[in-house]
Amino acid sequence: MIRFEAVTKSYKGTVVALREASAEIQRGEFVFLVGPSGSGKSTFIRLINREEVPDAGKILVAGKDISSLSSWKVPYLRRQIGYVFQDYKLLPKKTVIENVAFALEVIGRPRPIIKRQVPAILELVGLSKKADRLPEELSGGEQQRVSIARAFVNRPLILLADEPTGNLDPATSVGIMRLLDRINRSGTTVVMATHDRGIVDSMRRRVIELDRGILVRDESRGVYE
Amino acid sequence: MIFRFWYFIRETFVSLWRNLSLTLAAILTVAISLALVGSSLLIREGADQATAQFQEGVEFIVFMNADALENQNEAIRKVLDTSPAIKEYVYVDKFAAYEEFRELFVDKPELVESVTPEIMPPSYRIVPSDPDADNVTELARQFSEQPGVKEVATATEAIRQIEDFSTRVSQALLVAAIVLVAVSAVLILNTVFTAISGRKTEIEVMKLVGATNWFIRIPFMLEGTIHGLMGAGLAVPALFVVDSKVLAYFQESEAVPLFRGFAVPDGFVWSTSIWILVIGAAIGMIGSAFAVTRYLDV
Repeated sequence: MIRFEAVTKSYKGTVVALREASAEIQRGEFVFLVGPSGSGKSTFIRLINREEVPDAGKILVAGKDISSLSSWKVPYLRRQIGYVFQDYKLLPKKTVIENVAFALEVIGRPRPIIKRQVPAILELVGLSKKADRLPEELSGGEQQRVSIARAFVNRPLILLADEPTGNLDPATSVGIMRLLDRINRSGTTVVMATHDRGIVDSMRRRVIELDRGILVRDESRGVYE
Repeated sequence: MIFRFWYFIRETFVSLWRNLSLTLAAILTVAISLALVGSSLLIREGADQATAQFQEGVEFIVFMNADALENQNEAIRKVLDTSPAIKEYVYVDKFAAYEEFRELFVDKPELVESVTPEIMPPSYRIVPSDPDADNVTELARQFSEQPGVKEVATATEAIRQIEDFSTRVSQALLVAAIVLVAVSAVLILNTVFTAISGRKTEIEVMKLVGATNWFIRIPFMLEGTIHGLMGAGLAVPALFVVDSKVLAYFQESEAVPLFRGFAVPDGFVWSTSIWILVIGAAIGMIGSAFAVTRYLDV
């Protein structure tokens, strides 16, 4: 599903964020990216949905080499990839249901499909009863659920999550992880960058560790270390 | 597709409304600059019309009194026929003058009704053998002393007067207009930029969920285009006011008889209006295209 072949990425030519990283992630896997701040986790994620372009090496997503993807095709790549942010990035003036529908509207999905898919996904994340609330009326955990609903509503092949529990307390984080696990079990490949030792140790999934841009560990059923 | 259309319209107008004060500033600047562009074009056209009688080598025109006697006319004609200084001439009688007048003011029936062939001055349009300005001035002076002659308009003097005037006015307007067009493009750019920065998160989310670049750009470009079109929409009535008030003022001028020809056909006002709308839309599109390519980064 995702393959990195000796991928190097540096910023402004000097700071090396990723150095010759190679890894292969299979369809349906759940992968934790761990490592201290500045180790290259975010870069790894941003390379997958082509927010960044590698300096060297090759990245294949769903069998396609995306390092040479022409820019007008990037949106179509991203429609296959859901993205969850640490700070949710919900639109403050839109309600929960509008925030989720927005993701489908802007890629031109027909209204009947939106009307069917959005309530279904809100049901999945457990927010059906709060569909008409504004983000500011929700707790952090609920906001993150909305963000996940928005990322998943188009049924992407891959879900990327950059520190999705970074702003949440441990109890709330468990709920979010359950949700991500459920999404993963439906066949979606999940790649999640995290600092959260407790979560990684309790889930026992594949762990890729980065340290100053170098991929230092890749274990199935790993721990945080 | 219909759904997308409404999406674009909704987004565009929400954004226009959010930045109301900047939007109004942009629209007004476009309106003023385009009104100036249009006025400049109208004055040029007016000057061309006013000087039209001096085409094909005609250097001066001897206007006879409307009630000039036949023998006075004969005396003039005799000089014209025999003088080696005169190459050729055309006599325009009062009916022909009336016809010309009617053609010129075809859009202004009230003006045409106010005259009759009887009060139109017949005239001789004269091509001298030597079109040198001093020579023409001297010939004009000689003719103006003849009995029955109302006045002599020389191309050099009259055309210079009108052309000087219209060139100066229309160039000043044009310079001001060009500056203002640039200002309005920048203002539109700024307004669209403000709209973009007010929606950073929205744009970021759109990009990450896979909205196409054009989908993101179109509402902003529409917004700029609407600024331009609305400004042009305000400039068009201003043009009609310029035509009916300012140009009419010259037509009624007693001081310079040639200014009476200072008219612009309605058709020209309309076609200028269309140009103004096109230019307005173009300014808006260019301004907003700059904004989206520079700041949208999609």
